[in-house]
Amino acid sequence: MNDRFISVRALRPMMAAGVAVILMLVVACASAPLTPDSALDAAKVAISNADKAGAGQYANAELAEARTRLTLADSAVNEEDMVAAERFARESQVQAELASARTAAAKAAAVNVDMERGTEAMTEEMERAGDQR
Amino acid sequence: MNNLFRNHASYAMALTVAAGVGLTLAGCATAPVSPVGSADVRAKLTQLQADPELATRAPAAIREAEAAVRTAEEPLAKTDAPLGTHRVYIADRKVEIAMAQAATNRAEEQRVKLGEERERSRLDARTREADAAHAEVDATRVAAASAATQAALQAEELQRQIDALQAKETERGIVLTLGDVLFTSGRADLKVGAAGNLDRLVAFLDQNPDRRVVIEGHTDNVGSDDSNLGLSQRRADSVQSFLVQRGIAPGRIISSGKGEHQPVADNQSDGGRQQNRRVEVIIENPTPVVKSM
Repeated sequence: MNDRFISVRALRPMMAAGVAVILMLVVACASAPLTPDSALDAAKVAISNADKAGAGQYANAELAEARTRLTLADSAVNEEDMVAAERFARESQVQAELASARTAAAKAAAVNVDMERGTEAMTEEMERAGDQR
Repeated sequence: MNNLFRNHASYAMALTVAAGVGLTLAGCATAPVSPVGSADVRAKLTQLQADPELATRAPAAIREAEAAVRTAEEPLAKTDAPLGTHRVYIADRKVEIAMAQAATNRAEEQRVKLGEERERSRLDARTREADAAHAEVDATRVAAASAATQAALQAEELQRQIDALQAKETERGIVLTLGDVLFTSGRADLKVGAAGNLDRLVAFLDQNPDRRVVIEGHTDNVGSDDSNLGLSQRRADSVQSFLVQRGIAPGRIISSGKGEHQPVADNQSDGGRQQNRRVEVIIENPTPVVKSM
């Protein structure tokens, strides 16, 4: 009995040290579990901008993925995994920005193609008019 | 030393702390490596930076992508794989955004060029049109000039030929008068010497195949009317047969005897009668050709 008592007393500092180690782990690897509102808002704004720019037409796959990531972020918030939520939100934002960038590129290219066609058509028209003389 | 090892509690504590530190290291920093996919995203960025068409066209976006790729390349412990995946995802999209922006900027620069090209091609077309118009005018002028030259040359040549025939131009055409010296008196066959003058006529008809010939025989008033008519016809016929022998199509030749009724001079004198004894070759003016439509 006395022996057991002594051994328990000897374990007490050991337990304290274990608690300290667990605390260390938590501090080292986990961040504060707060809803990543600013990241979520930024993602929503980026999606909205892409949509307005016409990504639905020119970069639909990219826009859809941005929306999927935002949904994943919301799910993570519901599961209180705020780290994952913030990551999904940032991914959603950058993906929406990519949708916007690709939309702009596609539009610019389309304008050029139209212009080229127009110039070709005009040249042909002129040449034909020239041939008829 | 002995004292320390004899204290079980202290020993156990030291062991626990060591294990804790080990656990911490294993949990957060064991064998840190760059996340999976970070090499791929770096390669993609390097490719973009090496593309002379694109690298200079989105410098800010490329800088941002570079920073994101560098973050993605930071070594992480295996337990941090989700963070690594996240960073690689962000870096990849940043590189893609830089690519898209560079492409957009390039397209806009090309558009300026396209606009210039279009303007140039429009100008070219106008120039071509104007040139074509000029060329047409020039061609017409040259054609007209050459036609005029041709006509002038032809007229000149004809005049030369007429002069050679010693003929004169009248309303009926070119009239060549063959004097009676070509014929033995009272006979219709041509003298040998007549051939020279008639050869020039043949040459003229060869060169002007569109002209027809009327051959008229005339006499003075010596002898009977009938015999004069007959003689004039025979003389005309002998000129015709000469021409036919020389290759002139018979269809181009009409011969007729006019007898003594169309004198050109007074029959009272020898000289007058000589002038009246003649064969006239009338080379008709070409009938204007009416082009069939």
